Amino acid sequence: MSSTHLPPVPEEFQVLSMMHNIGAIIPERALTPDELAKWTGIEVVHVKDCLQRLRELGYVKYIEVSGVEKYLVTKIGIMKVLTLYS
Amino acid sequence: MNIAMVTWEYPPRIVGGIAPHCEGLAKALSDLGHEVYVFTLDFPGAADYEETQGIRVYRIRSEVGHPNFLTWVLLFNHFIEKRLADVSQGVDFDILHVHDWLTAPSSIAIKHSLQKPLLFTAHSTENGRSGLHIPDSFTIDGIEWWATYEANKIIVTSSSMKDEVCGHFRTSDKKVEVIPNAIDWSKYQRAIDRWAVRAHYGVQPHENLVLCIGRLVPQKGIEYLLKAVPIVARSGQDAKLIIAGDGWYRDHLEWVANSTGQRWRITFTGFISEPDLIALTKSADVLVVPSVYEPFGIVALEGMAAEVPIVASQVGGLKEFVEHDRTGVLVHPRNPESIAWGIKHVLSNPGHARWLTQNAKEAVQKTYAWDTIAKRTSKVYENVITEAVKK
Repeated sequence: MSSTHLPPVPEEFQVLSMMHNIGAIIPERALTPDELAKWTGIEVVHVKDCLQRLRELGYVKYIEVSGVEKYLVTKIGIMKVLTLYS
Repeated sequence: MNIAMVTWEYPPRIVGGIAPHCEGLAKALSDLGHEVYVFTLDFPGAADYEETQGIRVYRIRSEVGHPNFLTWVLLFNHFIEKRLADVSQGVDFDILHVHDWLTAPSSIAIKHSLQKPLLFTAHSTENGRSGLHIPDSFTIDGIEWWATYEANKIIVTSSSMKDEVCGHFRTSDKKVEVIPNAIDWSKYQRAIDRWAVRAHYGVQPHENLVLCIGRLVPQKGIEYLLKAVPIVARSGQDAKLIIAGDGWYRDHLEWVANSTGQRWRITFTGFISEPDLIALTKSADVLVVPSVYEPFGIVALEGMAAEVPIVASQVGGLKEFVEHDRTGVLVHPRNPESIAWGIKHVLSNPGHARWLTQNAKEAVQKTYAWDTIAKRTSKVYENVITEAVKK
């Protein structure tokens, strides 16, 4: 099938996908918004917007590690990412 | 026989049809007396190693990651290869069986280091899934070709997939074996409260439940089903459409749903658990599989097992096991009018629909049981091993 006219993958989904590929699926490897901005090349303010939406959808989880705000991909977030590749 | 099965998906890491396929095959091979070792990726909450029903499952954690998808794939393959090499110190594998391209690099490496035959099950191709339109797609296509080249034998689940593999990768048809998918019938035998399930999803007693299950990706053709909703409504059929599943294409599909003028008839459930999905399937009046690309289409087989009438696109594996107007209804892909016709055809003829489901149940029971499929797969293993010894 041709995908020429497909809509682009939403930005928050790109962030989710990169979080997954980096390995932010367990608390020990959770990432801060600043770290995610560096990895993805997306501005921190946009990363935070994406994380907010991903949290609302249940695809990422917020945790606090020594007072630092970090994020990791949830189980359904992993499954959502894998639909891109399967 | 010691079998190393390599797959990126294995329960509870379930995305599409590969995980249930590998689980069903592994269990059935184990029941035949084979020793099955599954090498797969980790999943939060799942054990790194476990033995269930005679199957040893190794879940491998990629110790490093990378935001680039293909680099990530190569990294996890490295860690799978390391674990396979470790385990092979104590187990003399007779055969390696890899499912899809994602774990092909590690399996090919181990094939050469252990000098063991390799079987490759091609569940789909990148060319078929999304077309070769970006550099990553060409790389994936190249890895798929590499796997077909390196494999002693290739297994596909339908004749249309065999044509696709032989045509696209220039593979000899003698190298490709068609062994269809199967399902676990026992899962569909439990009793459910059909009306309670329907009420849970907002379907009133006087309404029909039209169900669609699948990953929300373009190849599943769900936008054409959504466009069929107003056509069905105009015909006077009072129906609700429940779409079970999730995927990267969901935002677009919700936009299409909003544009139908019938949004209140459409529900997106997101991912739901397997028991809930089975209950929902058994409660439906019709299961629609509107795919535009479908190498097999196991969801239709599951619907047949659940005794739900099937309306499916006339593509790929679906057109091979759904017999038009005998075991289901085939419709034109990418065609909302045709899909709507199929739905109306089933909903307006309840007696005919029951006849379809009975025929479907008999046909599926006869051919698509895991013990049958495992015996056929085991025979391919034996032949491949015999051939490899001769060389």
